[in-house]
Amino acid sequence: MGGDLGFYLVQALTGLSSASALFLVASGLSIIFGVTRVVNFAHGSFYMLGAYIAYTLIGHLGGALGFWVAVLLAGVAVGIIGVVVELLILRRVYQAPELFQLVATFGVILVIQDLALLVWGAEDLFGPAAPGLEGTVNLLGTRLPEYDLALIALSLFVLGALWLLFQRTRWGTLVRAATEDREMVGALGVNQAWLFTGAFFLGSMLAGLGGAAQLPKGGADLLMDFNILAAVFVVVVVGGMGSIAGAFLAAVLISELGAFGILLIPQSTLVLMFAVMAVVLIFRPWGLLGRPEAPGQHGQAGPPEPPLRPPPPRLRAAGLLLLAALLALPAFADDFTLVLAVEIAIMALFAASLHFAMGPGGMVSFGHAAFFGGGAYAAALLVKYAGSPMEVALLFAPAMAGVLALVFGWFCVRLTGVYLAMLTLAFAQVGWSIVFQWGEVTGGDDGILGIWPSEWASDRLAFYYLSVLASAGGILALQYVLHSPFGYAMRACRDSVVRSASIGIDVQRQQWLAFAFSGALAGLAGGLFVFSKGSVFPDEMSIPRSFDALIMVLLGGVKTLLGPIAGAVTFTWLQDEISRLEYWRLILGALIIAIVVAFPQGVAGFLRARAGPWFGIREMEA
Amino acid sequence: MGLSLSVRGLHSFYGRAHILADVSLEAAAGEVVALLGRNGAGKSTTLKSIIGIVRPAQGAVELDGARISGEPPHRICRRGLGYVPEERRVFASLTVNGNLEVGRQPPRPGLTPWTPARLFELFPNLAGMGDRTAGQMSGGEQQMLTIARTLMGNPALVLLDEPSEGLAPVIVEQMVRAIRALKKEGLAIVLSEQNVNFAMKVADRAYIIEKGRIRHQCTIDELMADEAMRRTYLTV
Ligand SMILES: Nc1ncnc2c1ncn2[C@@H]1O[C@H](COP(=O)(O)OP(=O)(O)OP(=O)(O)O)[C@@H](O)[C@H]1O
Ligand SMILES: [Mg+2]
Repeated sequence: MGGDLGFYLVQALTGLSSASALFLVASGLSIIFGVTRVVNFAHGSFYMLGAYIAYTLIGHLGGALGFWVAVLLAGVAVGIIGVVVELLILRRVYQAPELFQLVATFGVILVIQDLALLVWGAEDLFGPAAPGLEGTVNLLGTRLPEYDLALIALSLFVLGALWLLFQRTRWGTLVRAATEDREMVGALGVNQAWLFTGAFFLGSMLAGLGGAAQLPKGGADLLMDFNILAAVFVVVVVGGMGSIAGAFLAAVLISELGAFGILLIPQSTLVLMFAVMAVVLIFRPWGLLGRPEAPGQHGQAGPPEPPLRPPPPRLRAAGLLLLAALLALPAFADDFTLVLAVEIAIMALFAASLHFAMGPGGMVSFGHAAFFGGGAYAAALLVKYAGSPMEVALLFAPAMAGVLALVFGWFCVRLTGVYLAMLTLAFAQVGWSIVFQWGEVTGGDDGILGIWPSEWASDRLAFYYLSVLASAGGILALQYVLHSPFGYAMRACRDSVVRSASIGIDVQRQQWLAFAFSGALAGLAGGLFVFSKGSVFPDEMSIPRSFDALIMVLLGGVKTLLGPIAGAVTFTWLQDEISRLEYWRLILGALIIAIVVAFPQGVAGFLRARAGPWFGIREMEA
Repeated sequence: MGLSLSVRGLHSFYGRAHILADVSLEAAAGEVVALLGRNGAGKSTTLKSIIGIVRPAQGAVELDGARISGEPPHRICRRGLGYVPEERRVFASLTVNGNLEVGRQPPRPGLTPWTPARLFELFPNLAGMGDRTAGQMSGGEQQMLTIARTLMGNPALVLLDEPSEGLAPVIVEQMVRAIRALKKEGLAIVLSEQNVNFAMKVADRAYIIEKGRIRHQCTIDELMADEAMRRTYLTV
């Protein structure tokens, strides 16, 4: 009996201790977002850096005191890194549309990944035990590592310290005020720039501290950044953006569910996370302790757009010319170029599908790879287990991706702006975990191999035509729907929820269907992708894949459908060139950052200002 | 001592929409100037262009002869310009004391520094409410709080955007008293109003703005005498 009770007690405390890292990272993300309105994607990277830096410092400073000093110093060091990122990169792009800041922080992720690889190597590092806390304590007959208690104490301490900071100091008051109304705080004589920098220091430091403190339990590895990011996004969405107490509550809730759920059904953690999110989002769409965001505040890149017109003749001609050039390409190009062109065509469809949801739909998806990868896996699994031919699999891919998007979308359309976006990322990461962990069916990390096109399409030339035509068809379908009554209703929902509802549009249903359509076409792209490569790996569902599409759309611009296509061409080609180099992430990341800093309106925005008028694209009358 | 404000030839845009065209106005130390106009005339935009929230495309704003236009709002504020927004933009989740703290800036030579205690004398309604959450106060109380918050910055010149908007008559009377008290302290005040009656109780001079242009300028006595003009430009 006592043993049972002790077991549950220890399980509960284990849950609390694993909440500690989640809480530290999530509260940091929340603080940064509250003040600067930047969702710092690099937050997971800061967490990872905290672990690595602490590892090195602990190696130099021995003893119990040395250990804790190292953990603290690692936090401070990461805080300083955060400040450097803020000063050098973000400060230059605060005026740019919000999403560009995200792209910049994604560049930072890539750079940090390769820097960590460079400095600490590819091997996972085993965390040293905390001196003096190596043992276990006996709680009613069950043993609990002493360090777990230290982690619980640490998070309670941080919670208290943050409370004092925000309630009892002038700086904290200014931060809370700025979270509500930045402009007003500026007009009252407060220099926002330093408030932003301070928030970045504090938020990054908390992430670094979280990474450093979990070192004895989890060690340090190069996957930590993305692994924590999705969980942190869930915590922030459930707890409420901008609420520290909410972050704490949600971190505890999710971790406890994880600790106990695993007893009921192993592998149930993900399902439980879904369930919690579903319940919270239905009853409190702004999270447990969050506040609703003002409509139209986030998720929109730039001022309102002019009414949608059919593409001007010259632009249409340019599109047709492009298609003609693609059809004629095989006459001039070698095999390598054709392979690259196939990839570009597929990525253009993927980017266009994201653009559909993001631009006209007003729903920014950070996790569109869920549908791309979902379609890819649907096709591959059908071929592998049912031996179905390519033609059927290519229909199955968008269908299944569409269904997946219906399921995810059902939750997502209940939210708006940045909440919606974070939720899509969390969902995509859940999908990734499933294909990654469910090795018996999906092959896990080894992927599914040997998925080749049908006989008639196996020739390089035939497959080229197949993928170009299918992608072009998909893009035209998106374009067609955009100009249909459905598309107009969708844009109406984006521009004004209230007015759309008042003229009888069921806003959530409209957005839900739009999201599913976009997901289905991403799935078609995924299906084509499988047959072009002959294989599929969990990478196709991963965060970097989602960001590929996001970057293509943002570089190309969200205003016209041509934007994502141009973005796909540029980015896919660039990636193809760079990825042959060692440390290509470093180069690509630096390049992304440089592009964002140099062209804060996007390359397309820059080009459109120059070449747009000739094509008959009018700049918006804001 | 108060500061004098001089606005010359201001043009402001929202995107491509030309909102202010050649707006000029003056306010001397210790003077209360009213900027009168109907809905959408450009009153708020004028005040926002002075404080720097809207960056004027052309024209100059000078404070005691020193050019301030083009600087960011926090710099302009620290030079002694206080801005009170329309529609009671209090920090709703902060307490009254918290709101005042956000506005606090160092004392200004020649002016008695504002403290919460002095402000509660000026706005007796707020007295004893220090720990109340601003979001839970009445509209009139919030309006007073926005003014008190700005005064915590010890401004020498205050821009007031529609201080009487949506206030009950009793509260309007208190607002009139408060503005007169500020004038007595030597502050210059530029207030925007649709409510001519309110303006006539506190202002010395008036500018009438319509469609982003100053149509007329006169003393308050002249405005009181000229009913035709009030009918042409203002809602009476
Ligand atoms: N953020 C904005 N973006 C675009 N146009 C705006 C914006 N704010 C105001 N305007 C327009 O600028 C014009 C002047 O607005 P302003 O707010 O200065 O008027 P106002 O005189 O203060 O009116 P009110 O009495 O209603 O407060 C109006 O036509 C308004 O529609
Ligand atoms: Mg106004």
